[in-house]
Amino acid sequence: MKKYIPLFLLLFLATAAVSVAQSDNISPARKQAIDSLALEKVKDLSKYISIIGSKETQFSEANRVMDRAEELFAPGAEMGVSSLSRKEIAYYKVRRYFERLMALNYDRVNITWYDIHYISDLERQPDGRYVGVVTVYQRFEGTSLESGLNYRDTTKKDITIYVEKKQTQIAGRTIEFWDVMLGDIRVTETSA
Amino acid sequence: MRKIILSLLVLIISLELVPGQGLYSPGQPKDDGRFAASTKQVNQFFRRFNAEESPDGTKRYYEGDPMYRDRELRGNFISILFDNETSGISNETKREFMSEVLSEVMPQYINFHREGWFSEVSAVFTYRGKRENVTLFLKIQPEGLGYEWVIDKVVFQPFKDIFMKPEGDAKSFLHPLSHELGFMNLRRAFQDSDTPEAFTPKEYQPDYLTLFLYEMKRGNIKFETVMDVKFHFFQINNWYFELNQYNRPGFNTGWLMSNLVKLKPGDKETLLRFIYDQK
Repeated sequence: MKKYIPLFLLLFLATAAVSVAQSDNISPARKQAIDSLALEKVKDLSKYISIIGSKETQFSEANRVMDRAEELFAPGAEMGVSSLSRKEIAYYKVRRYFERLMALNYDRVNITWYDIHYISDLERQPDGRYVGVVTVYQRFEGTSLESGLNYRDTTKKDITIYVEKKQTQIAGRTIEFWDVMLGDIRVTETSA
Repeated sequence: MRKIILSLLVLIISLELVPGQGLYSPGQPKDDGRFAASTKQVNQFFRRFNAEESPDGTKRYYEGDPMYRDRELRGNFISILFDNETSGISNETKREFMSEVLSEVMPQYINFHREGWFSEVSAVFTYRGKRENVTLFLKIQPEGLGYEWVIDKVVFQPFKDIFMKPEGDAKSFLHPLSHELGFMNLRRAFQDSDTPEAFTPKEYQPDYLTLFLYEMKRGNIKFETVMDVKFHFFQINNWYFELNQYNRPGFNTGWLMSNLVKLKPGDKETLLRFIYDQK
């Protein structure tokens, strides 16, 4: 009997590993819930961008909103920006991107978001976390009162989302939940 | 504490007051159908090609859903996945491709995790202080608990210029009795010749990726930026197509098929050599 113990142990470990792997799979229903969560984060970001870009927002308030916006992102996240006339990607740290947005030299800025989005499937990374991309479209309108010039563009924003299963203790019980963080964002000017 | 509450209050009020902000708020611009029609991500190209999502892209179809891989839906999707403005793919070629892909007996699908597709990235690096174009070929591979993109090949003109193996009369060689002299004439190969690659076997191919990584580790090559990305697909039997992103006005935009080619035996290898710039 003793000689079978290692075999039983191996079988047990293998079964445990499979059940762990299965429990980490994302079902269609779970995916839908994660999509909603990701979209909420993207909505938060879009609100923050609108506030930061608005000329009615005071400097101190804009800084506070930038702090909130930065909290949505995984550390080190970058914005990669290109335009119709310049295909090459310019890279900015998220904070720097917000600061540039705040410093734009227009008297009036209006940032709105189109009523359309697309959410990719979630793919698993080597480290076990899931990654996806949410695509949204933003319209920017800047008016300079002195020169009377209007600048308008529409950009496509492909936003990375990282999805991770986390644990928390509530009333002595361990509760598992899925958390979403934003990552790198690719900003492309569109012809619209 | 009062300051914190005040700050929070200001933040909440400001969120409420900014007009037209956020997704799906009043006053937001409405898509006239162009963004909806656009194949917005490579992921959406896969889902549309296989009919694994609803026509408006808001619902993902999974195995067991009635519309999952529905043949009619697939036909409608694939017909809008061709670049109709610049690629000049004939209607006859499209029809033939679609009839094979949508075959009732053996329909063919594309798969993100399967071999037979890869990416071509046009990037800019500085090499010894000078901006240079570099083409990287990346493929997806299983790793750890998931998948990753890895650099499979690199095309870099300065390296290609270094390795110009002479042919015919111009080619130096080590004569067939060199061994009797204890290969003393290696001196000629390594000191007197500026084309030491002349002394390599016929099948010798320089490994540019290793050289590239070596130069990067030495600090001679530094990444600058990405200029363009496209994909090459060989997953459909006897067919090749390129996937490019089209950013232009109209409804035929986003990630679309171009350069659709029916392959005859041997064509795939020729095409791969051409893509990898080894023609």
